[in-house]
Amino acid sequence: MEELKLNQTPVRTSRNYNINNIKLKDITIPKEIGNFENLKLKGKTSLVKKASSLENMELKYGVGIVNEPNVKLQINIIENLKEPLELDFMLNEQNRNLVENIVINASEEAQATVVLKYETDKDLQGFHNGIVKVNANKNAKIDVILINLVNGQTDNFLSIENVLEEQSNVKYTVVDFGGKNSITNYYSNIKGKKADSTINTIYLGKENQLFDINYVGELWGEQSNLDIDVQGAIKDNARKHFKGTIDFKRGCKKATGNENEYCTILSDTAKSIALPMLLCEEEDVEGNHSTSAGKIGEKELFYIMSRGFELKEALKLMLRAKFNKVLENIHVEELKEQIISEMEARLD
Amino acid sequence: MLEIKDLYVNAGEKEILKGINLKINKGEIHVIMGPNGSGKTTTANAILNNPEYQKKQGSIVFDGTDITDLKTDEIARNGVFMSFQLPEEIPGVTVANFLKYAKNKITGKPVKVFQFKDELKKYAKELKIKEETLERSLNVGFSGGEKKKNEILQMLVLNPKLAILDETDSGLDVDAIKTVSKGIEMFKNEENAVLIITHNTKILHSLKVDYVHILVDGKIVKTGTQELASEIEENGYEKYRKG
Amino acid sequence: MSKTQIEDINRNIYDIKNKDDYDYKIEKGLTKQIIEELSKQKQDPDWMREFRLKALDVYNKLQLPTWGPDLSELDMGEIATYVRPKTKMSNTWDDVPDDIKETFDKLGIPEAEKTSLAGVGAQYDSEVVYHSMKEDLIKQGVIYTDMETAVREYPKLVKEHFMKCVPVHDHKFVALHGAVWSGGSFVYVPKGVKVDIPLQSYFRLNSPESGQFEHTLIIVDEGASLHFIEGCSAPKYNKVNLHAGCVELYVKDNAYLRYSTIENWSKNMLNLNTKKAIVGKNAQVDWVSGSFGSKISMLYPMSILNGEGSKTEFTGISFAGKGQNLDNGFKVVHNAKNTSSVVNAKSISKDGGTCTYRSLVRIGENAKNSKSVVSCESLMLDDISKSDTIPVNDIRTDEVEFSHEAKIGKISDKTIFYLMSRGMSEEDAKAMIVRGFAYPISKELPVEYAVEMNNLINLELEGAIG
Repeated sequence: MEELKLNQTPVRTSRNYNINNIKLKDITIPKEIGNFENLKLKGKTSLVKKASSLENMELKYGVGIVNEPNVKLQINIIENLKEPLELDFMLNEQNRNLVENIVINASEEAQATVVLKYETDKDLQGFHNGIVKVNANKNAKIDVILINLVNGQTDNFLSIENVLEEQSNVKYTVVDFGGKNSITNYYSNIKGKKADSTINTIYLGKENQLFDINYVGELWGEQSNLDIDVQGAIKDNARKHFKGTIDFKRGCKKATGNENEYCTILSDTAKSIALPMLLCEEEDVEGNHSTSAGKIGEKELFYIMSRGFELKEALKLMLRAKFNKVLENIHVEELKEQIISEMEARLD
Repeated sequence: MLEIKDLYVNAGEKEILKGINLKINKGEIHVIMGPNGSGKTTTANAILNNPEYQKKQGSIVFDGTDITDLKTDEIARNGVFMSFQLPEEIPGVTVANFLKYAKNKITGKPVKVFQFKDELKKYAKELKIKEETLERSLNVGFSGGEKKKNEILQMLVLNPKLAILDETDSGLDVDAIKTVSKGIEMFKNEENAVLIITHNTKILHSLKVDYVHILVDGKIVKTGTQELASEIEENGYEKYRKG
Repeated sequence: MSKTQIEDINRNIYDIKNKDDYDYKIEKGLTKQIIEELSKQKQDPDWMREFRLKALDVYNKLQLPTWGPDLSELDMGEIATYVRPKTKMSNTWDDVPDDIKETFDKLGIPEAEKTSLAGVGAQYDSEVVYHSMKEDLIKQGVIYTDMETAVREYPKLVKEHFMKCVPVHDHKFVALHGAVWSGGSFVYVPKGVKVDIPLQSYFRLNSPESGQFEHTLIIVDEGASLHFIEGCSAPKYNKVNLHAGCVELYVKDNAYLRYSTIENWSKNMLNLNTKKAIVGKNAQVDWVSGSFGSKISMLYPMSILNGEGSKTEFTGISFAGKGQNLDNGFKVVHNAKNTSSVVNAKSISKDGGTCTYRSLVRIGENAKNSKSVVSCESLMLDDISKSDTIPVNDIRTDEVEFSHEAKIGKISDKTIFYLMSRGMSEEDAKAMIVRGFAYPISKELPVEYAVEMNNLINLELEGAIG
């Protein structure tokens, strides 16, 4: 089949570096998407409305594969939700393909935590290509927790787009573990004054998994802020491409942007590419990025092992410590436990 | 030498100084004391016309010149120096080169290189600043004490008419305070003046002070002599606070 | 360096135009006939003629880059590729024609030769007009000559290395270079010879609407060491000038090479230069690079660390003003165990200028126990300029230590206030901070270049701030 070029970066660099986009050959996009019914809801479920059509679903960036959605949901948050709203998507024999479009509209001052979890039945070859949009109005505060635990036969695509108005706060916590190929696109339009956009991600790659992570934040509002923090580990032949762009637009006086990426490499055949971009056309800003890669520090490993842990346990312990900052954002205990046990299993 | 009249200063929206009056004659050492947030640092910055602070009312006259609205560098060239509480770091510019350049600007004529170097080394020695430090980038990687001593070094080299020392003694150990006091003594003569801004009294033990002003909530609430400082040392500012 | 000289330097000297007085200028545009003619004119040996024709083929096949600055104003059909000034090469300045000599005099080149250099080469448009080297180095077997002479007199050395480090397929402008190269320097430092004082080449483009395609080939043999300096300038003409030079550096086992450049092409130049070094076992190449001129620059020196324990350091600064788009950076490929790279890149943007730092760090499968530390800092001097950082970090093995850091921002108001409280005007304060910012680069340069760079900074900042 024809080669797909996905997840384009906002600015190109030399083609020889193989990072402007991701080329995938062995992807099967199902011709018939069919229905998807296996969605479980928790929390104030009356807020989740099936929509016959959703407006403005075009994406500025996006992964680059477009399917007709089989799940269309609109969630209007108008108050301060105490309990998280959980949406569990389970792909199985009857519900093989999930193409969900979800729009979360947060009114002024509204607050909520929304959990989106994706899983597949064992051995199922599924397909996931979703779009999540968050519109945060003035002073709204939205936490989105995204958990990708689909199996190694399933391709996972997700496009995220956010619009942040004045003093709004949109925070993503992403656990990206699953998928044969896991391709994520994230774009935040940080429009409003003092708006604050955060994305914290952990990923864990094994065998021949490929992660292509493309995060873009445009800072337009004065004193707005963007934080990108990505921590992960790859072993076996796993590959990770991280592309992160902080884009300071003219006029975003006193805006700040920070980007941090650390990749722990656990085998000599795993590969990590990072392209942390800083684009800037405004003088009065502060932008920082740092990326690093390498194996786990031998001194630390030695220390832990001297306390009686075997190598594998010590590794787990140290990765867990690295991931903790992100896991702390997840306040649903059983979810956290599921993630931790999944993590342990993947490191075995 | 310096006369501040009815000075009101804001930092952004916030009113900080609410009518300061202060007169300093040549040959004098003045101290402004006050609790945190009373407006001490604002006073120093207002004299140097830091654009972060806005003057709402009042005037500052120095040596017969109205400096209220002059630019900072013009005020400095008129002979006012301020030792910063948190001196800025300037990578790539050595202490020696910086001071040579500043001295040129302050005096308005080229410095004599060898004479300047000798003078610089002499003062550095007195202040127990290592000679290598003079070739390091200004304040970059300096400890708190090194930064403060470096400010005093700058004061000695630039030799202003009025030196304002903003919390120069804070965070210093006993030995460093002694060194700083020694620097002030070396600087002080009948023709110049010193304004010390501090919230503690340690440095005052080794200096002969003419006037002590108590600044509370943007106003000078009491002026006295060295004894006033001792009283504060014992009883704190409590009795000067309103309500 | 005497003080008067410091004060004498100003941009005007780079802008001196000599009458466009050439004795031979080929037709505009690029065809097989032109290449044949050029080759004949240069008295190329057969292999070189064939090489040029092959490169032309590659040139015609390759596309312009799909990334980076917009090069659409470049019309190769309009650019005469070869301009030969009216002179033969000499080894004494007395033989150099007066107007050309005067230009180099004003640039301070002969003066620098007397005081601080081991050898000097000067190229005017496409031809080298002057070459000389200190006596004792000649005795030790050091070769420093122009590239054409090297092709004739050292065929084996040249053939073995010429465009092997930078193959013509690299990109379109390298292919163009391969077809039309002219002038440049050839240096060979024999085994174990340490050249203590720097060698220098100075390139000057004088003719409007022309291209300069000099080729620099430096071989530092085992255990030898060298510091080579390259300076470039051109007067301002209305038409676009193209510079597509090529620098190939071979640093053999245990050898050391430092390559310093100050580029101050006039602001209508398209500087599409390619520079690469192949580094042997326990050898080291250090790059020091200042980029001030040009309308567009795409310059990414590259170190290929092929030898175990080899090292490289890159220290660079770009300063983009009005109408300038400087897309510069560094590339390093770690191909062997225990290799290390250190990158320190800075940029300054003002008056609507654009600086981009574009880079690649690749640590290959074989490069166990390698290290790479990258640091980028960008300074924005106003809110109409641009500054982008586009670094690719490609890590293919686990036994590495890799870190990359970048920051961007403006000069803080607090810092300006601090300096103003010491009697400096706002302009003085900003100029001092910028000079300090550039200091890590200027300190790596020979003193007259450092002075030149500081003067360029002052000149660039004059009237631009306040």
